[in-house]
Amino acid sequence: MRKFPAFLSMLVFAFVFSQSVFGQAKITPLNIKQRALPNGLKVVSLQDASSPTVSVHVWYNVGGKNDPQGRSGFAHLFEHMMFKSTKNMKSEMMDRLTEDVGGYNNASTWDDFTNYYEVIPSNYLETLLWAESDRMANLNVDDANFKSERDVVKEEYRQSVLAQPYGRFFEYISSLSYQTHPYKRGVIGNLDELNAATPQDANDFYKLFYRPDNAYLIVAGNFEQAQLDAWTDKYFGRLARPSGAIPRVTTVEPDRAQEKRQLTTAPNVPFPAVAITYLAPNSKSADIPALKIAETILSNGESSRLYQALVYKQQIAQEAVFSADVRVDKGLLYFYAIASEGKKPEELEKSLLAELKKIQTSPVAANELAKAKNQLITRTLQERETNDGKALAIERAVAYQGDPNAVNTDIQKLQAVTVADVQRVMKKYFTDKNRVVIYYRQEGK
Amino acid sequence: MKNEKFKTLKVLSALCILHFAFLICAKAQETPPPPSAPKVVNIPAVKEKTLPNGLKVAVVERKNVPLVTVRLLIKSGASSEEMEKAGLANMTASLLTKGTKTRTATQIAEQIEFLGGSINAGAGWNDSFVTVNVMSDKLDAAMTIMSDVVLNPTFKQQEIDLLKSQSLDNLAYNLKQPGFLANYVSSAYSFKEHPVGGTTAALNSIKQQDIIDFHKNNFSPARAVLIFTGDITEAKANLLAQKYFGKWKSPAKTILGSGDSSNFPPKSPVGTKNSEQNLSKIRRILVVDLPNSGQAAVKYLKGLEAGRVNYNGGKVGVNPVYYPSIVMNSVLGGGYSSRLNQEIRIKRGLSYGAGSAFSWRVENSNFATSTQTKNESAAEVAELVLDEVKKLADKSVSASELNPRKLVLTGDFGRDLETTQGLAAALADLYSFELPVAELNSYMKSVQGVSDAQIREFAKQNLAGGDIIIVGDAKVFMDDLKKRFPNMKIEIVKAADLDLSKLN
Repeated sequence: MRKFPAFLSMLVFAFVFSQSVFGQAKITPLNIKQRALPNGLKVVSLQDASSPTVSVHVWYNVGGKNDPQGRSGFAHLFEHMMFKSTKNMKSEMMDRLTEDVGGYNNASTWDDFTNYYEVIPSNYLETLLWAESDRMANLNVDDANFKSERDVVKEEYRQSVLAQPYGRFFEYISSLSYQTHPYKRGVIGNLDELNAATPQDANDFYKLFYRPDNAYLIVAGNFEQAQLDAWTDKYFGRLARPSGAIPRVTTVEPDRAQEKRQLTTAPNVPFPAVAITYLAPNSKSADIPALKIAETILSNGESSRLYQALVYKQQIAQEAVFSADVRVDKGLLYFYAIASEGKKPEELEKSLLAELKKIQTSPVAANELAKAKNQLITRTLQERETNDGKALAIERAVAYQGDPNAVNTDIQKLQAVTVADVQRVMKKYFTDKNRVVIYYRQEGK
Repeated sequence: MKNEKFKTLKVLSALCILHFAFLICAKAQETPPPPSAPKVVNIPAVKEKTLPNGLKVAVVERKNVPLVTVRLLIKSGASSEEMEKAGLANMTASLLTKGTKTRTATQIAEQIEFLGGSINAGAGWNDSFVTVNVMSDKLDAAMTIMSDVVLNPTFKQQEIDLLKSQSLDNLAYNLKQPGFLANYVSSAYSFKEHPVGGTTAALNSIKQQDIIDFHKNNFSPARAVLIFTGDITEAKANLLAQKYFGKWKSPAKTILGSGDSSNFPPKSPVGTKNSEQNLSKIRRILVVDLPNSGQAAVKYLKGLEAGRVNYNGGKVGVNPVYYPSIVMNSVLGGGYSSRLNQEIRIKRGLSYGAGSAFSWRVENSNFATSTQTKNESAAEVAELVLDEVKKLADKSVSASELNPRKLVLTGDFGRDLETTQGLAAALADLYSFELPVAELNSYMKSVQGVSDAQIREFAKQNLAGGDIIIVGDAKVFMDDLKKRFPNMKIEIVKAADLDLSKLN
């Protein structure tokens, strides 16, 4: 992410941005319109005149998993370069066109995709469509900008990984959970491979992935449909569709053969922590909605099972979380807990596994299921208060289901989850041999 | 790294600001299409009413999403507690949701979460709050729980013990982070205050009776405002307010009389006097050594006599320097393209971000810049921060820089009001200072009306003479720091030995 002290691949954020949502209460479907241009660009739009703003998102099908060999962290570093100069824009001109007129912009790099977005007073929509089309086709990568921005990304790494007591812990969850899939490298990468990156790498990466047939334009907010369509044709329609194929990750993460255990350490770790990870099915699996419900039952709010057991009753953890970190390829289902003063990681592991066993062996209560659905509906509604939130929801539908309509159908799928579904998926994926256990503690202790 | 290349970049950047809408840069082949006519920003109407028991009710209807936020503001916060009991206000508010006469902590969480909603309680420096965010068709049930936690808390010893140990663990965790640690230290060192979340010693000393007393002295309808925002009518909100909070009585004795704004909220300690300021110098430098820290946090801090509120013939209004100060902050350190981020991140790649902010109190305020950098560049960044702070007093801000920075503020303001929670927080901010809600409507105009001369005058009067605090791996940057600040006394404390009560 460009501006905030978090890059969104960080597993700790996966729950907040989880792709699911829904419930018994009715959610008005988003009335989205779809188009495709001859050059392959797909366009999704959603009109909403309740505020004088519009949110413009350009979503690219490229993420941390597409980092070149020996260049971990590159997709994210490249994201930063997209705010530098183009044929028609000086460096940081995106800020002049957004921030300087009362809007804002940002971008984030995930394992599976990268998004660029801005919220602006709606009378600047044409200006921003022009600007987004310009940086889709006309980016300049110069040496000075590249080096300076690489330094910024190294500081981002230090701030979010090295300067946080549990920063390295979340990196270990990715790196130790995968054997072959590029997800194991994490999105932020490491200082050595960031240092090895060159402007030539950036030019190559740009040519491979930044093209209309690898992107979605998503516009939500206050605009006229005919005008948006005309501007889209004018500014994006003229971009050529490159002839070469877009490289895709084809590595399939193998199933795990046996439990793996690992002890990790770092400086300035006040309390030990434990993570227990399992490989998840990919994002299009029919089991995902039930896993999302289980995530909510186990881990959403102070009435959730993990909070009640480890934090409130046993008082062995200050934080206890389960996350269904769903990805395009096999994602991660993981528990983690950070110990309270004087408590041991062994106790955390034992309690987390006991909670797992409980949800596997006894059906969840009907009112727990209803509660989870209500919580997910509320979260959906909260996201839909803003144009930016609605555009983000559409992005996730595109990223994880390959279909913008999933922004409406995912909700129905969650609504249909039963008590038996939850029990079935918790038995199916959480097997002993599919387990990786990571201990994390102060170094030199 | 101060070289010619960066100066060149800066000039180009300024040109682009000047011409952003119709940019004609040397090599550009196209110019961006200009904007069309702007659409109007609607500032929602606030409907106010006071119940017979003195509770003020404020309602803003917004129907686009079926959600409601209810925020109860109590006009007492950490400013009402002593340093020795730092964290008391926050603990008291947090404990409201941990048990009532008829509900256990677990039942409270289960019942509100079953509705899909959430309930949060806590305290800041100026105020305490309880908020509920829930689907509008479940509001009645959610208010049952909300009023119960406010009116009937039990403050059981076992819940106090758990919250205390959680707070201590959380503090121990945060104190390993250079950014948090720098803020924590600055509260006592630079502002003569204490951390809202408490200190280790203070948290350990808080007793059940302290909590019961704080609650009795501060939680009363006359010191509260109940704010509804979202999918609800004025009539329904008033009905619910009466139903759930109408029987709330003020305790027989409160520390302060109701509605008497002359002595309310309690006056906060005041920072350095203007007369002590030396325009060319910082006051002192404090280094907190956190060995093996992944970065250094670098701050410049100054306590100001300028407060949020102005009393004019007994009438409470916004301090006339408030708007100049927030526009000044937008230039210096608010938002991505502010000067600090330009100099430290964009031009030099020394940080992921740099900024500044005011924390307002009734009659004074705290000003602080914030950034984190690798330990090696901590001293260089401290110099850059000081240069930018000084520049505000030395040179006027050009119109081409000033106007966009005003739009950053008004744009943020408009977006904050888009969510029911943001709207409720904006109202609570005004009520906590007893300011009229009409400020919401005049905000944009007030920001637009600030002049470059006002900004420079404010900076001259208020920003000099502050402290630098650096938290990081001291062995890496101490030599450089001494070189760059040869005539300054540099005080060093070890993070592990830190005792806020001994900092002066």
